[in-house]
Amino acid sequence: MRRARRFNINGILINAAALVLVLSYALPYVYLLTTSIKPAADVQQIPPSFLPAVVSLENFREVLQSSALPKAFASSLVVAVLTTVLSLAVAVPAAYVATQYRRRITTLFLLFALVTRMVPSVSLGVPLFQLLKSLGLLDTIPGLVLAHTSAAVPLALLLMSAFFEGVPKELEEAARMDGCTRFQAFRKIILPVMIGGIAVTGLFTFITSWNEFLYALLLTSEATKTAPIVIAEYNSVYGLAWGAMTAAAVLYSLPVIVVTLALQKQIVGGLTFGAVKG
Amino acid sequence: MSGEDRFVLCMLAPALAILGLLVAYPVGLLVFDSFFKVDTITPHIREWVGLKNYIDALTSKRVAESALRTIQYSVFALFFEFTFGFCAALLFSALPGQSRWHRTVFTLPLMVPPIVAGLLWRFLLVGNIGILNYGLVQLGIIRDPDAIAWLSDEDIVIYSVSFADIWLTTSFVALVSYAGLTNIPRDLLEAARIDGANAFKRFWHVTLPLMRPVIAVIVIVRAVDAAKTFDLIWIQTQGGPNHASEVLSMNIYQRMVRFGDLGEASASGTLFLIVMMVLAAAAYWKIWRPAHA
Repeated sequence: MRRARRFNINGILINAAALVLVLSYALPYVYLLTTSIKPAADVQQIPPSFLPAVVSLENFREVLQSSALPKAFASSLVVAVLTTVLSLAVAVPAAYVATQYRRRITTLFLLFALVTRMVPSVSLGVPLFQLLKSLGLLDTIPGLVLAHTSAAVPLALLLMSAFFEGVPKELEEAARMDGCTRFQAFRKIILPVMIGGIAVTGLFTFITSWNEFLYALLLTSEATKTAPIVIAEYNSVYGLAWGAMTAAAVLYSLPVIVVTLALQKQIVGGLTFGAVKG
Repeated sequence: MSGEDRFVLCMLAPALAILGLLVAYPVGLLVFDSFFKVDTITPHIREWVGLKNYIDALTSKRVAESALRTIQYSVFALFFEFTFGFCAALLFSALPGQSRWHRTVFTLPLMVPPIVAGLLWRFLLVGNIGILNYGLVQLGIIRDPDAIAWLSDEDIVIYSVSFADIWLTTSFVALVSYAGLTNIPRDLLEAARIDGANAFKRFWHVTLPLMRPVIAVIVIVRAVDAAKTFDLIWIQTQGGPNHASEVLSMNIYQRMVRFGDLGEASASGTLFLIVMMVLAAAAYWKIWRPAHA
């Protein structure tokens, strides 16, 4: 009797603690959302209030009517899609042979990918600036795609290797028995099975590019500014326009949050898998 | 070369080419440039200066200070995000039933772009309208909302800017730890309980040793990322006030962009790279390996 009761109290305490923890971590972002729908003048009122007194879409209208942000979103989207396609195209086949055909070169290759993840972006950004300048690719979409790919490929390799570890070697052998070449077996049998893992990896490379800031700051100017750069510029160029800033930040971050929450189960699996194995 | 070898090489080649062109070659260029006097406007004109750039970097007070700040920032951020994240994971695994929606909501910050997290925390901390101080007044912790100038007090700003980092990455620690905790065999904990070990002893003698490789990975990944941080701090303070939140990556960026000194930026970049490699390797050998042996 006493024992059951104690367990109950423990259960309630743990539940309450978990609730407080979860809410306190969600609260800042909720405040960003509630701030973005305040009238611009109310955003900077003293003292600040958590909830809007009046709901207004003024801030959103302002950032969407400015020319800079919609254009920056387009740049961000194009760069992120191209980065994802390029990274998957090179990383998926490589990760496949690195896990299924183990030999010295593949082990060294994976180790190199892992080491690459440790390189500070700024150390790579300095020579990338020079490389793109000599190729005439500064401030162009292909230039930024190349820079983002340098960060996305190692990530895609590690994630895809984790997914391919779960594929039995027999799958390819069976396909080969049926007369497929190695390449056909990969393309027709293995790839369709891995589509879930490829999708998760693709989402992560997309987010890597979508969120990237330092390379975009170093390697672009007027022609190809991405969304985070324009949002950061609300700081200096437009004075401290907090209302516009919060609206732009919501537009920039909410779509990614919604998509990832919708795919939560697969993503968390992929993420923790990649991290623990990597 | 056998058909199999040729297949392996063909599949590997595109990735090798990309990493070669976009990682290995730039790193080579970085090291090469570090021995020259060269600027960003005319990078084809270079003058050999030997180790001068390295000597300048290593004797510069501003570089030393930004390196120290990088350590302060990383240690502070890592300590809190690890503590909070690990406790959250323990809490979630102790929840009766599934902790699915707790974990779902808790993942939220993980999806927030760093630039937005930095912006948001700046908005929470900024003087006059920062809501955090008003909250602290309501709780009776401080007496008036101007009592703590989070982002403009030179003595504390390097710690204040790490709040965004802690908020952003606690959930990464929590999720990875949670995955590790669920992999611990239940009967091991049960056996310890039957042997009379209390909750604390079970944690200390069973859970923690088994979690060692997971903890190692978290610490290495997070420490490296924290030391590399640029965007989160940039958007909050741009390194200010008076360079008080300028970390190493920002220092290198400034020397390249503001002063156009490619040679010196390359020397610092090379040193930064070497230190990170050595740290990661040391952490790997010391913490991760013994658990496998």
